[in-house]
Amino acid sequence: MNLDKITLDIIENALRNTRNEMDAVLFRSAMSPVIREQHDGFPMICDPQGHMVVGQFGSYISGFIKSWQRGINEGDVFLTSDPYKCGGAISHINDWMVLIPIFYQGELVAWASQFGHTLDIGGPVAGSLPTDATTIFGEGTRIPPIKLYDGGKLNQDALDIILNNSRTPVMNYFDLMAIIAACRTADKRIRELCDRFGKATMLTAFTALLERTHRAMSHLIEQHLPETPVSFEDFVDDDGRGNGPYKMKLTLWREGDKAFFDWAGTDPQAPGPINFFLNEEMFKMFIGVYLIMVFDPQILFNDGFYPLIEVRIPAGSLLQPKFPAALGCRTHALARLFDVLGGALGRQAPELSTAAGYGTSPYLLYNGEDRDGEFFHLMEITYGGIPGRPIGDGMDAHSWWPMFENIPTEYLETYYPLTIESYGSRIDTGGAGLHRGGNGVEKVYRFEVDGSISIHDDRERSQPWGILGGLPGACSEKILIRKDGTQERLPSKISNIPVLAGDKLVYRTAGGGGWKDPLERAPAEVRQDVLRQLVSRERARTDYGVVLDEETLEIDEVQTTTLRAELRAQRGPVEIFTFGPTPALMGVCAV
Amino acid sequence: MSFRLGIDVGGTFTDLLLFNESNGEIFLTKTLSTPLDQSVGVLDGIRKIVRQAGISADSINLILHGTTVATNAVLEGKGAKVGLITNAGFEQILHVARSQTPGPLAGWIIMVKPEPMAPLELTRGISARMDARGRELAPLDEEEAATAIRELAVQGIEALTISFLNAYANPAHERRVATLANELFPYLPVTISTDILPEFREYERTLTTVMNSYVRPKMRVYLNGIQRKLEIEGIPSQFNIVRSDGGVMSLQAAQESPVKTLLSGPSGGAVAAAYIGTLAGYPNVLSFDMGGTSTDVAVSYDGRPNIVRETRVGYYPVKAASVDVSTVGAGGGSIAHVPLTGALRVGPQSAGADPGPAAYGRGGTLPTVTDANVVLGYLPPKLLGGEMELDVEAAAIAVQTIAEALGVGLYEAAQGIIDIVNENMFGALRLVTVQKGYDPRQFALVPFGGAGPLHACALAELAGAWPVIVPPMPGVLSAFGFLHSDIKNEFSQSLIRTLDRLDRSEVISALQHLTEQARVWLAEERIPAEQQEVLHQVDMRYYRQGFEFAVDISPDAFTSETGLAAIIEQFKTIHEQHYGFNLDSPIEIVNVRAIALGKVRQVELTSHEPAGTDASAARLKDEHYIMYRGAPLETAIYDRDQLKPGHVIPGPAIVTQRDSTVLILPGYQGTVDSYLNILIRPVSVGTH
Repeated sequence: MNLDKITLDIIENALRNTRNEMDAVLFRSAMSPVIREQHDGFPMICDPQGHMVVGQFGSYISGFIKSWQRGINEGDVFLTSDPYKCGGAISHINDWMVLIPIFYQGELVAWASQFGHTLDIGGPVAGSLPTDATTIFGEGTRIPPIKLYDGGKLNQDALDIILNNSRTPVMNYFDLMAIIAACRTADKRIRELCDRFGKATMLTAFTALLERTHRAMSHLIEQHLPETPVSFEDFVDDDGRGNGPYKMKLTLWREGDKAFFDWAGTDPQAPGPINFFLNEEMFKMFIGVYLIMVFDPQILFNDGFYPLIEVRIPAGSLLQPKFPAALGCRTHALARLFDVLGGALGRQAPELSTAAGYGTSPYLLYNGEDRDGEFFHLMEITYGGIPGRPIGDGMDAHSWWPMFENIPTEYLETYYPLTIESYGSRIDTGGAGLHRGGNGVEKVYRFEVDGSISIHDDRERSQPWGILGGLPGACSEKILIRKDGTQERLPSKISNIPVLAGDKLVYRTAGGGGWKDPLERAPAEVRQDVLRQLVSRERARTDYGVVLDEETLEIDEVQTTTLRAELRAQRGPVEIFTFGPTPALMGVCAV
Repeated sequence: MSFRLGIDVGGTFTDLLLFNESNGEIFLTKTLSTPLDQSVGVLDGIRKIVRQAGISADSINLILHGTTVATNAVLEGKGAKVGLITNAGFEQILHVARSQTPGPLAGWIIMVKPEPMAPLELTRGISARMDARGRELAPLDEEEAATAIRELAVQGIEALTISFLNAYANPAHERRVATLANELFPYLPVTISTDILPEFREYERTLTTVMNSYVRPKMRVYLNGIQRKLEIEGIPSQFNIVRSDGGVMSLQAAQESPVKTLLSGPSGGAVAAAYIGTLAGYPNVLSFDMGGTSTDVAVSYDGRPNIVRETRVGYYPVKAASVDVSTVGAGGGSIAHVPLTGALRVGPQSAGADPGPAAYGRGGTLPTVTDANVVLGYLPPKLLGGEMELDVEAAAIAVQTIAEALGVGLYEAAQGIIDIVNENMFGALRLVTVQKGYDPRQFALVPFGGAGPLHACALAELAGAWPVIVPPMPGVLSAFGFLHSDIKNEFSQSLIRTLDRLDRSEVISALQHLTEQARVWLAEERIPAEQQEVLHQVDMRYYRQGFEFAVDISPDAFTSETGLAAIIEQFKTIHEQHYGFNLDSPIEIVNVRAIALGKVRQVELTSHEPAGTDASAARLKDEHYIMYRGAPLETAIYDRDQLKPGHVIPGPAIVTQRDSTVLILPGYQGTVDSYLNILIRPVSVGTH
């Protein structure tokens, strides 16, 4: 049927509103701070075939539909957490994914889906992200695709088994209900839209929205991707078991309006849990987002352009590990993937590209029994330096992930036996640049009861690179200070370190790389960063060539001009990328 | 005779509404706002309306004033130079903020983050620390504090904020530093976080307090100025400032807590819409205030606007009781464009007031929502009483660029722009209703602002929110709302306790203490005892849940198990209403609160006798056509001032009045009620 353009735009806006409503319902009614305060959850609406028409991580439903053999009916609510049973649509078993088929007048018209990170799903380590797991069996309870509700009827037995395996059953239950409530919001809205526009119009609109993105992307691919292959590589530090670094290498090119993204040259899968089962469709979405963001930021990302992109991932590699490889700590490779993708695209148009950032999702887990003898389990996501950007400096100690928020100190201290001694961004850790990379986080925890902690971070050995003369950001580090004053440096990935009341942890994340030449940054801006204690006077001199008076911090114009000329001469021509030293080999990479 | 005067200072106009308390007569006028010193425009307006009503200025006994002085200072970044003292190790509290970058994925690439209102170089951390229960972990280093205060003073700060972690549980350190600052620099305005907001979550509390400091000097200068001018004019009336939650407070209170006035204007609109709706027989209303650059929507249920405890002003979350107004970045001036994907987008860029839409003939060439309205004939070229004639040709040229980019006709493009903007408005109405568990179809729609009544019929069609109630004075509705405002203040305290381990006496004593504070405040505000009222609330949630609900309670609710059980039931009802489920999980209280009210006498709109259904006497002679779904339709234009109760206006019709235009689409009809509201409904539904 014919659909006029404007009706299509209206439907697009209505779908956007629906998605916003899904988010609102989830964030307001979830219980775990990871979803509620930190917003770790991702809504999606798909057409009947499973193509994503609204969302941000790309659809995995088409794969699910192909493999599901036991019927899809009105009132069904599907639940899964097994990456190996959904083609990597979710990439570790903490993510619980809910799918709801949406029916209108007895016909399947759409799908709603949402997944969220649940706090604990069993296994040997609270939080279910052991840094030393060697198979997925060591990470907790896997839920294969099941009907949690069959035709509207709850499968209480299945739910009981699942919750029985969690250290945090109440919270998981609450979060699951919040995820389902969000999907049901979409269900209601889509049926209302069918009432309003007619079922046939809605189905046509889904297709038309997909086609629209297809056309725009075809144009962007031809304009922005090279016909000659270009490559970029970067590293994940280690696998948490003493192996690494792991190289991730991406080569891209185009043939006509078809683009190729090839991960050949990426290291084999790791013995430890850092493998990232990369869903091809999801990766296509990441590419699309990066290309299209600049040109129509109001667009609803959808799957329409998928046929234009071919993704090749070597089997048995870090990005396509073989069952039953451990996957819990895949965040580092997931984040690094964006650095590599950005770098590869950046070879073509570095002026439009950003540097690399803190490049992971750093976690701290702390658990034990509080003073009332109750089990507690904290999982906190921290952030780091945002890369220097064409539009300006990278933000200090901010989240690279959209909509995530930090947990208020007063919340942590109210609900957990913890004191935060300090929290801010870490001086001199952002790479110098015309636009400075953001500083990493420094947060000092004091544990008030005996317990154990686990740490997940990366970029401890591979610096976030700078672009067009911008310098790399600083690495992350973790220092445990025992009550008696002895200090030990902890690796970036470690589980179940016992801590005693009074011990402190200094948690430092990486900075972002700088964007363009720091010797071009206005001396007044450099001075302001020094006044704000974001950059030291020393680094103003060595990195930016800006000389400040020791007492007044006034700019010495003459010395600055001379020093900048010297630094320019010493350094030679500016490269596209400035990397830190390649991390040294610490152990075998192969299984 | 005694009079009550509402004054709303907007970006372009200052609206004044004078109410005769003895006979209910209302006078209204507008003067040009004077942004450099708003009091000039206010005084002009007072002189004008006093002349118009033929009264002497000293018969005005109460002035209720909505001001944007604080709001503008925040939005324009033109507040005071603020210093901040906080705990050592947390100096970057405002710089790091909540670490959030916007969605979608990669949204950080284009994020623009404004500078903190207390810059990092004017922030000092000093040794002092409380734990979450208010026990001292590290004593206050008074010498360090004094040094910090002196250093900041040398740097030329105009206001000082003190905000410590966990101060809501024990404000001793904050108070001590404030005393030190007062001793050292008696004229430096000092604000401590627990005076503004003694509730937990340090970033929001600190930010709100800093914002208070940031706007305080400007507000002080302004309010002192206006007070002096009123004295010179010989107007002895009591002068109150409208708060963001629709209440009012004294000049003195407003000088101390100007952050509570940030949504002063929009709150008046919501209060008035609730009143108008109730009067017309519809106590549940959605208010819809569409202006040039943005649109405010709000929900009123059972005659009362919904109040929230956190709102946003620009980038900043502000923790202050406010009418729950959601702002959409789209209005009459929003610009339409077609990006690479070939989609039609409207906004967020706006042509603003200058140059404004192409139709204004002030050099604007980009196609706006107003231009689309002009092209379709929804806005007639000559506006009754308006100083402006619209340039239809310029509007058509502008909208034609969209038509060409889309490959459609001019009228289709114009209709598309209107439809997109309406859909976005509908999305906003959704967020304010459905999110809270309401169905928009249970609400009437009250449009106001310059463009609200123009879009309301189409919006109601989308939302199923009937009738549309166009108040008699849609251009000055906020000022009308001010006339209804009670004197109000809130006193709260964070008290985070799970109910199963609750020491009830602790809550009872907190409530008593807060009630006492409320009573003292009401006395200070010189509210007669018979007009005083103190209400109580407790914020509740499931253990560790992220959001809490305010539950209205009686003051003795915590004295018995049955009282407690009743509160739990209330909470569960609200939770079910909002989220659709409840949990078998511990419930905790988070904050307790006393709300002090000084009740004012309600303003009654005069009811008029019906005059028959025939509205033809109000019809203007102009022949006019609108383009409706691709076809020209002859459309009658009516003069609002000539409409009488009982008149029926069949759509399509346009009703013009001084500062607004009402559009009634084909298939709908308007009926004038006894208060001169126009109620628009689908014809098939009938008139009542």
